[in-house]
Amino acid sequence: MENLKHRNYKSMGPELEVRELIEMLAISRNQKLLQPGEENQVLELLIHRDGEFQELMKLALHQGKIHHEMQVLEKEVEKRDSDIQQLQKQLKEAEQILATAVYQAKEKLKSIEKARKGAISSEEIIKYAHRISASNAVCAPLTWVPGDPRRPYPTDLEMRSGLLGQMNNPSTNGVNGHLPGDALAAGRLPDVLAPQYPWQSNDMSMNMLPPNHSNDFLLEPPGHNKENEDDVEVMSTDSSSSSSDSD
Amino acid sequence: MAAAVAMETDDAGNRVRFQLELEFVQCLANPNYLNFLAQRGYFKDKAFVNYLKYLLYWKEPEYAKYLKYPQCLHMLELLQYEHFRKELVNAQCAKFIDEQQILHWQHYSRKRMRLQQALAEQQQQNNTSGK
Repeated sequence: MENLKHRNYKSMGPELEVRELIEMLAISRNQKLLQPGEENQVLELLIHRDGEFQELMKLALHQGKIHHEMQVLEKEVEKRDSDIQQLQKQLKEAEQILATAVYQAKEKLKSIEKARKGAISSEEIIKYAHRISASNAVCAPLTWVPGDPRRPYPTDLEMRSGLLGQMNNPSTNGVNGHLPGDALAAGRLPDVLAPQYPWQSNDMSMNMLPPNHSNDFLLEPPGHNKENEDDVEVMSTDSSSSSSDSD
Repeated sequence: MAAAVAMETDDAGNRVRFQLELEFVQCLANPNYLNFLAQRGYFKDKAFVNYLKYLLYWKEPEYAKYLKYPQCLHMLELLQYEHFRKELVNAQCAKFIDEQQILHWQHYSRKRMRLQQALAEQQQQNNTSGK
């Protein structure tokens, strides 16, 4: 009994209090030591504590429910997150594929443009092929043997008979630019000795003139070639060559 | 009127220039001529080298179609290199190029002959197996 009076009930933990109170009540019942007023007080305290317990239990239950809901929501969030990541991956892949496709398409367009620029009619190509093969310029004549003067490039004779050669010697060359001594000495006249060599000028259209950069290289090209032709003459064994007005 | 006349003479001049340059660029296909030029020191002249560079316009299809000896274009391209120009001073170099050119020139006729031979052989085989 004394210990009951000397304690401060409220400072103890609720379980201990209740236990103590019940013990006290049990003891006081047995021993009839408590005053009725005190018994009532203890009982009221007990009821109060019980009420508080009930409240706490309800609160705990409520909190539990909320916690459960939170977990459910978190799972949802995770699921959505993974969905978003998946979409992101797919988007990236799609972008890459598209980028590749666009790049390849651009390359293709470029090559189409290039092909279009270089387009030549097949007829022209065939004509050109005819021209260069018929004159044996790129393919040897079938009867060619070493000793044949024909060559895949313009020979001395042809060079001298052309316009370049004519520029030096308008007077001394024979008719149509054939150097008589040379041609006769050779014994055979290849059929390229037409009055107008096909390799020298053609059915040239007027707008096919060479680009005029004549100021660029410090010298006049024809004059320059004149010197060459002059020296070419010196190389030859032709007796009809004359020394023209060279430097 | 004067302008038209000027244009005409200009055109005639251009025509001649075209012809000259056409002839000259094709002369470059002749390795002996190149050797000749190299020995006379023309390849050392800066103006001449510039001229060779200028002549590259013959590679365009509109101009190239007038070339009878298309090999000259390859020579022209090689001539753009200093090393090649220096090498051409040797007569052996020119001779080598000449030989290779002629052999290449005969390439197609040789190929055709081989084909004809192969065809003849095949026909012979067919005849003998037929009988």
